[in-house]
Amino acid sequence: MGLLDQRFENGNVFVTSLENLLNWARLSSLYQMQFGLACCAIEMMAASASDFDIMRFGIIPRATPRQADVMFVAGTVTLKMASRIKRLYDQMAEPRYIISMGSCANCGGPYWEHGYHVLKGVDRVIPVDVFVPGCPPRPEALLEGIIKLQEKVRKESLVKKSA
Amino acid sequence: MTAEEILNSLKAKFGDAVVESKLDAPQPWIVINPARMKDIALFLRDDPATQFDYMMCLSGVDYNNGKLGIVYHLFSMVHRHKIVLKAFCTKEQPHIQSVSSVWATANWHEREAFDMYGIVLDEHPDLRRILLPYDWEGHPLRKDYKVPEFYNGMKVPY
Amino acid sequence: MLTEFGKVLIFLIIGALFVAAGLLVAWLLRPRRPYPGKVAPYECGEEPVGDAWIRFNVRFYVVALIFLIFDVEVVFLFPWALVYRDLGLFGFLEMAVFLGILLVGFAYVWVKGDLDWDKPRPILPQINRRQDLQVEPEKKNAEVPVAN
Repeated sequence: MGLLDQRFENGNVFVTSLENLLNWARLSSLYQMQFGLACCAIEMMAASASDFDIMRFGIIPRATPRQADVMFVAGTVTLKMASRIKRLYDQMAEPRYIISMGSCANCGGPYWEHGYHVLKGVDRVIPVDVFVPGCPPRPEALLEGIIKLQEKVRKESLVKKSA
Repeated sequence: MTAEEILNSLKAKFGDAVVESKLDAPQPWIVINPARMKDIALFLRDDPATQFDYMMCLSGVDYNNGKLGIVYHLFSMVHRHKIVLKAFCTKEQPHIQSVSSVWATANWHEREAFDMYGIVLDEHPDLRRILLPYDWEGHPLRKDYKVPEFYNGMKVPY
Repeated sequence: MLTEFGKVLIFLIIGALFVAAGLLVAWLLRPRRPYPGKVAPYECGEEPVGDAWIRFNVRFYVVALIFLIFDVEVVFLFPWALVYRDLGLFGFLEMAVFLGILLVGFAYVWVKGDLDWDKPRPILPQINRRQDLQVEPEKKNAEVPVAN
């Protein structure tokens, strides 16, 4: 545990100011580990291109999970790939978030019925924060998913969670 | 060369390896004894009259009556003619001779036929699964395939 | 009161403190929850196999060595360039001798082939094919007949 991360029993004005600062810093610079697997990767690239530009949200593509905050799982997750996704998720450093993009990553997509090799939803191996529906989702839908993730990050807290 | 001439030259050289043929189909096909595939493929590639130097496709088939097979589509860049070869085998004895030493592209196509249908290619240099993970059980494109419940702890069906 | 070098020292200390403060704040604020899956070496999602130290071509070492020697030569050129005006012809000739000696070394390295970078020779696969079979010229522009 970091010295300040989730060590406080109850919040005070310093803790909340620090939380606001930290959350703002984290949501404004979500470095992504792009995990484009199939057709949704094209839409992710379209979202990264000039018309829809996710870089203005502070999302910069990093090649390695060590430097990434968010992983966009974009495309069909096969069972062969699922173990790699689990390992890569493990190698990301906290705070880490997952955006599951497209029907195949949400629930198996068009392969739900007969796909013997498809993992029916990436949330069977890793915990997902935001599901972006679509086949493939338009870049604006991916941007909405990113904004929803930013709202989730904004609500995070340094205070220890009590049951 | 027409398909009939190709069939006649094959029968003249190999006789018993040619099992049957259907020349009035839209793509005329010739059925070959699966244990003699490599000799026939080598002849078809090297003979100056046929010169089938391009194997367009190699596909596995499950005919749903216990019969498996491989279908080869051959093309000649020199003479611009095509022919289709077929080789059948059964599920109990799924052995067909490999042609990967004749056409290099057959290497991966035959690995896919093995992966999906379980057809064992004899004399293949590197016969292992190509599309599915190496520890997968079963051959999915067979008609009697059942989807497994779990694979490595992950639930497979929806 | 403070010499020029003293001011440089203050500058260095403040620079070091700046970096240390940033690292300290980061250490205070970041979560630290290591577990075996997280600290395993990264190999694009696969189980890591083999050593992280691999063999590489010796030309990297050769180029680095040559760079080091000529970099030191350049380092010697800088103070000479500052006082060149006071040294006159004598300074010019002395540095010319120094550079000439190193030029001989440079020529040796060049001729020996240590500066060549593109060395790998690709090995093309051998396909067993009969060499006497040729494309007949008149067939190249013909129609594509379908065998039937």
